[in-house]
Amino acid sequence: MAGSSQGSFRNQALRAGHRYDPSAASRPILVFDNVFKSYRPDQPVLRGMSLVIERGEFVFVTGPSGSGKSTLLRLIHRTEQVDDGRILFLGRDVSRLPDSAIPALRRNIGVVFQDFRLVPSWTVFDNVAIALEVIGLPQRLIRTRVGEALERVGLAGRGSDAARVLSGGEQQRVAIARSLVHEPALILADEPTGNLDPQLAIDILGLFEDIHETGTTVLFATHDRSLLDVRPRRIVILDEGKATDVPPEMSQFDDEDDLDDDDYSDVDVDVEAA
Amino acid sequence: MDNNSFAGKSGFGTWRAGRSDWRLQVLSVFSLSVAFICLAASLLVVTNIESLRDRWSRAGRATVYLKDGAKDPDIAALSQALEHTEGVSRVRRITPDEARREVVSTDEALAALPAEAFPGSLEVAFDDSITDDQLKTIALKLRALPAVETVETYERWTERLSALLGGGVTASACLAFIVLAAVVSVVGSTMRLLLQRRKIEVEVLRLVGATDSFVRRPFVFEGASQGALGATLALAILGVLFLIVKDHFDQQLANMLGITPSFLPWHLAIGMVALGGVLGATTAFVSLRKLASV
Repeated sequence: MAGSSQGSFRNQALRAGHRYDPSAASRPILVFDNVFKSYRPDQPVLRGMSLVIERGEFVFVTGPSGSGKSTLLRLIHRTEQVDDGRILFLGRDVSRLPDSAIPALRRNIGVVFQDFRLVPSWTVFDNVAIALEVIGLPQRLIRTRVGEALERVGLAGRGSDAARVLSGGEQQRVAIARSLVHEPALILADEPTGNLDPQLAIDILGLFEDIHETGTTVLFATHDRSLLDVRPRRIVILDEGKATDVPPEMSQFDDEDDLDDDDYSDVDVDVEAA
Repeated sequence: MDNNSFAGKSGFGTWRAGRSDWRLQVLSVFSLSVAFICLAASLLVVTNIESLRDRWSRAGRATVYLKDGAKDPDIAALSQALEHTEGVSRVRRITPDEARREVVSTDEALAALPAEAFPGSLEVAFDDSITDDQLKTIALKLRALPAVETVETYERWTERLSALLGGGVTASACLAFIVLAAVVSVVGSTMRLLLQRRKIEVEVLRLVGATDSFVRRPFVFEGASQGALGATLALAILGVLFLIVKDHFDQQLANMLGITPSFLPWHLAIGMVALGGVLGATTAFVSLRKLASV
């Protein structure tokens, strides 16, 4: 399950000048420790959730609508703040990072959303290059790295096209290229196939698997059950505010429909919050 | 990961607005220029009413009424002395007969008035360099001369006119202030709408780990340049309109008011462009703070 990689070693520190800690390489990349989060006092989303993600893992996070899949990813990215508990990313508590350190945190994480989050009026190149411009890479290097990233997602030669003229699948590929171009330690995918047809969804999943092959940790939130069956992967179900690992023998579902609330109630699993 | 270059550090590398959405940029500059035209026009009114007040705050002339028994040599000597006085540009003698003719030509009913009603006088014209105090001193000295009955400096009339025009200046300045408040509001709304349309850019920048200053700088610079450009365009449009109007009415206005209308002085024009820049930058900064919670 655990696997270290070159990609995940590149960004040991969350802050420029942070001292390199060799022991960090053997620690899990992500640890949720008794995390609580609610948007309304009477409706908690996460209730003491604990979870450990090792380096180089590909993890599906699934669960019914409103179970907190997106919240989980937003907490890692510090778009949301935990109410209680700890989230350790590369050994540092994300929830206690000062505001000034959040940009550095986000530079170590790639994010892909269902709605792509591209600037329609920018070109494909610009939409990808922005992830490198914020870290101040020279233009020459940016051109090379963006070209490579576009090639990886099958959009070589499309850099000058405006993002608005691309199809949904192409736009998601651009978003994926943006998420990987700076070689982050972790990629968060929040329902990245939600707006795509089944075949395109499998293609996009394939892209994430290719990225994972290079050693990058991928956290893939989806409620599309058909994607979970494509290849055996670790599956974590979020329900009732807690994370539950699905044992391997239970991870292959029979039908092709999307999961609904009832599917989760039938899964009898060991609660092995790490 | 923290290599730095100017473009990366400053955020100007992400300043793609001009080439990616130029129609939006042009529209917002035009909106700002319309607001600034109103401000510039009201300042133009203030400037010209001020000039008018300055011109009419002094009559620029005085009438020295002579006694009936004043002798010609005394009058000639007085006239010569006045011509050599500093600040006096011209002296013209009007005899009682000339005074009667001039008055009767405008209203024949006045022909029945007795001869004493039309005293001889010296009409004295002053140049612009003379001050009120100097005029008062000259009038005081003239009144002391034996050939002089009285001296009329039209002070009361000019004071009233000056007060009236001063009120006009105040009213137009108040109007300009109200227009300024409207301009601030328009600039703020335009910048807010512009940034709202480009909210996704801010979101994406935050998403990929841009710092606050990286996100803000290009937008604030853009706000400043749009504000300054809007004000400059407004001045250019108003300047053209002013020249057209001036060509048609310059002579009539000079005859009627005694002044030729002037455009905004250069320091006011530069101030307005600077104001546009500052307003654009400030409103962009404030609007971004509201958008920053991405």
